[in-house]
Amino acid sequence: MPSNIMSETKKHLVEVKDLKTHFPIKAGVLSRTVGHVKAVDGVSFTIEAGKTLGLVGESGCGKTTVGRTLIRLIPPTAGAFTFEGEDIFVASTGRMKAIRRDIQMMFQDPYGSLNPRMTVETIVGEALGVHRISTGNKRRDRVVDLLKKVGLSPEHLNRYPHEFSGGQRQRIGIARALALDPKFIICDEPVSALDVSIQSQIINLMQDLQSQLNLTYLFIAHDLAVVEHISDWVAVMYLGRIVEYASREELYANPKHPYTRALLSAIPEPDPTRRKPRILLAGEVPSPSNPPSGCPFHPRCPLAEEQCRHQIQALLPKGDSDQHVAACWKVK
Amino acid sequence: MTDTHHTLLSIRNLSTHFYTEQGLVKAVQDVSFDIPAGRTLAVVGESGCGKSVTALSVMRLIPWPPGKIVAGQILFEGEPLLDASENRMREIRGNDIAMIFQEPMTSLNPVFTVGNQIVEAVKLHQKKSGDEARAIAVEVMRKVGIADPQRRVDEYPHQMSGGMRQRVMIAMALCCDPKLLIADEPTTALDVTIQAQILELLRDLQKKRNMSIMLITHDLGVVAENADDVVVMYASRIAETATAQQLFEKPLHPYTKGLLKSLPRLGEKKERLDVIGGNVPSPLNFPAGCKFHPRCPIGCNDKRCQTDEPPLKEMVAGHCVACWYAGQDIEKSKDALKHNE
Amino acid sequence: MTDSIQTTKNLQKPIKGRSLWIDAIGRLRKRKLAMICFGIILFYVFIACYVQVAEWTGSSWPTNWDESTGQKYESPNAQNIFGTDIFGYSILRKVLYGTKISLQVAFFASILSILIGVPMGAAAGYFGGFIDDVIVWIYSTLSSIPYILLILAFALVLKDKTPFGFKLAGATTVYLAIGLTSWVGICRLIRGEILKRKESEYVLAARAMGCSGGRIIFKHLLPNTFHIVIITFSLRFMSFIHAEVILSFLGLGEKDKPSWGAMIDSARLDLPKGYWWEMTAATLAILIISLALNIFGDALRDCLDPKLRTD
Repeated sequence: MPSNIMSETKKHLVEVKDLKTHFPIKAGVLSRTVGHVKAVDGVSFTIEAGKTLGLVGESGCGKTTVGRTLIRLIPPTAGAFTFEGEDIFVASTGRMKAIRRDIQMMFQDPYGSLNPRMTVETIVGEALGVHRISTGNKRRDRVVDLLKKVGLSPEHLNRYPHEFSGGQRQRIGIARALALDPKFIICDEPVSALDVSIQSQIINLMQDLQSQLNLTYLFIAHDLAVVEHISDWVAVMYLGRIVEYASREELYANPKHPYTRALLSAIPEPDPTRRKPRILLAGEVPSPSNPPSGCPFHPRCPLAEEQCRHQIQALLPKGDSDQHVAACWKVK
Repeated sequence: MTDTHHTLLSIRNLSTHFYTEQGLVKAVQDVSFDIPAGRTLAVVGESGCGKSVTALSVMRLIPWPPGKIVAGQILFEGEPLLDASENRMREIRGNDIAMIFQEPMTSLNPVFTVGNQIVEAVKLHQKKSGDEARAIAVEVMRKVGIADPQRRVDEYPHQMSGGMRQRVMIAMALCCDPKLLIADEPTTALDVTIQAQILELLRDLQKKRNMSIMLITHDLGVVAENADDVVVMYASRIAETATAQQLFEKPLHPYTKGLLKSLPRLGEKKERLDVIGGNVPSPLNFPAGCKFHPRCPIGCNDKRCQTDEPPLKEMVAGHCVACWYAGQDIEKSKDALKHNE
Repeated sequence: MTDSIQTTKNLQKPIKGRSLWIDAIGRLRKRKLAMICFGIILFYVFIACYVQVAEWTGSSWPTNWDESTGQKYESPNAQNIFGTDIFGYSILRKVLYGTKISLQVAFFASILSILIGVPMGAAAGYFGGFIDDVIVWIYSTLSSIPYILLILAFALVLKDKTPFGFKLAGATTVYLAIGLTSWVGICRLIRGEILKRKESEYVLAARAMGCSGGRIIFKHLLPNTFHIVIITFSLRFMSFIHAEVILSFLGLGEKDKPSWGAMIDSARLDLPKGYWWEMTAATLAILIISLALNIFGDALRDCLDPKLRTD
């Protein structure tokens, strides 16, 4: 049956349309809502089954909120998330529990994301119990399988998170995410808290698992080099919106939006002979509770003109490819 | 500019240990390097490699208990810091050596305005009246690129963004014209675009003031952009020291090589990343012999690597490495380079 | 593990892990002073249990505290090492019997305050909103009333009542009064801790997995706050002993049996006449257990609180 569904939905496993997540700002004795933080303000993207979409941006751009909204840890304000043709945001609680088996999440902090008082077996096997899939020896066998899959050994079963190094803890987190055989995994900065020499191990592991299990990833990160390595498509976010969206090759070879260009030029490269011209952005990311009018990037943009201060351009095709979209008045 | 490369700070055989409840942690062992005047030396390494402890040892800010500098000497302009009195150290800190930290949120006191805190730093080390000190504060804030310093001098830390706070920290560090600035992961908590601004600022200030910088980081990209000399630390010891040019062109230690190969780089198409296997060792439980041997392609099968600690040897002028097989590897990497070209 | 179709992958025997609890106990055992204090506490508990068992089995010593063992007001001597009181009763027996009453009251009061405080705190912290408002309102109101007055009021109200056909008297009144009024502290602590931890990534992970609210509270949140319960238990135990002493001293506690508070109450009239031993014996008994509990509680906090863990 899975192969059947696969062929039907080969096009897009995940479709997110006009997603908005606003947080109310409360003030005063009566906690009246005085405004909204528009953490995510109209984000749309699609991901094909078995592919990876990289979602990049700086802190406060809303990328983490996108991930958490999709898995319904945060209620969405508006928009639709269609997964295998079904709108998740209107699913009932019972249906949602079933859907959760297909959508899992990987977290950033290898220290904070594992319950310190549970053994590895309990952590990895918990989902099997919650969804009443297996118990006893069968569950243990499944956990052992998962541990092997992520490069840990069965002798780790009864150990506690604090007995592991950061990289090993992240492997436990991955095993937990895989326990229910999900189709779609939201990876929230899965390598940024790891030591440099461990990052590549985890990235390789994620890629191996993807091809073995035909996983679909939403890879949320701030490190553009890592995203380039792992993604098929890349979306760049700024202040709650996607400002540029293209295939990996297109985006890195041919960045259109001035923010993407500045971001790419700001990455320090581990090679002194390859120093590139640097676009230094002035100022800092504005607060999403009080975003600038017009294009949210205009106060820092070297190209900004009058029009940019008043109007936002929708994501429109730029350059030769109609698959490469960006929201900027100044680039064609 | 005639004598810019005389040694400002010299660390000799420094060892710092921590006596914790879980056991003895040899955080820094036998570390020696020099920082020339007017240059940037980067200390690179992963968590637990002892890079921050080295910096705190230079400042003599290791908390006892549990930490203690057990051996070695630190010479600052020829003056042995480890023998200096606490009063003398207080003069040196801030006046001659200043330090900035990773977390700009917690290194500023939230109940005072930033101006207040800079003025405090100025008054501590220089005999200045309140108004003079405030003028210096405004001036130094302007120098670190804070727009409208007259107004912002009266703001509280929470009113500023992370990048701004790091600028304030740098301003505080610079207000007494230190000869050496120790920057402990100054951009790790910041976004890339802000990181680029801060790194640019550090480069700029160094050029103008001919100050030395000891830059502690885990990011080889930051090293390549800012450092003149590099010390690579692994598990409490120095693995390799070189100029930045030498290190990135021809790394000699298997750890450095592996690290540089494993980094995903922009514009580089690779199916799989190269990997250093194993885990970063815990400071409580460093392996015997060469600390890197369990993760090293040569060392994991070699008797000598497993039992004997390799000394730091100078292979090429200015390029030292602590590896039993460093000599042979030079030949190999030369061959590989030729092949690539 | 006796399954005959044992799969090969389970042949590798898992290594036993070191839980945070075992870690903490290991750290605690390295502290000599704390272990001495723990020994003292165990000794008190042993006495209390011994007295209780003696009472149940009808064994005479030391439940026969109300038999004269000498003249009245004998100063400490070989036969009565703590001396005797106005009726010639042995003060040693009274102190031992009082230990049972005090520890019983403190123990049941602690259990009661935990049973009320922990669920209330957990509910307030986890569910927030209206439930939180109500619970916070209740405990803010309770804590705005001076503590001793509140206990007095409860003790007076509960005294000699017979709810469910069970007569409240003596020690029972005291620990009900203390328990019902003193859950505020633990409730507030647990609420704060749950509020903080419910945003942690492991709880998010559990929610993303589809865990129910109950499972998250009982499997993820409470085990991670349990050390706080234990620390509070050991530190509050002492203040409950004091509360019992105060209530007995004020005549609201145990009437017919000797408790430390009742002993201090009766000795207070003897002291000006130079009969210092009853007062000394009772206060020493209180002082030693208070000190032991305090030092042990502090050590527990240092060893159990993961905030102080460096790893």
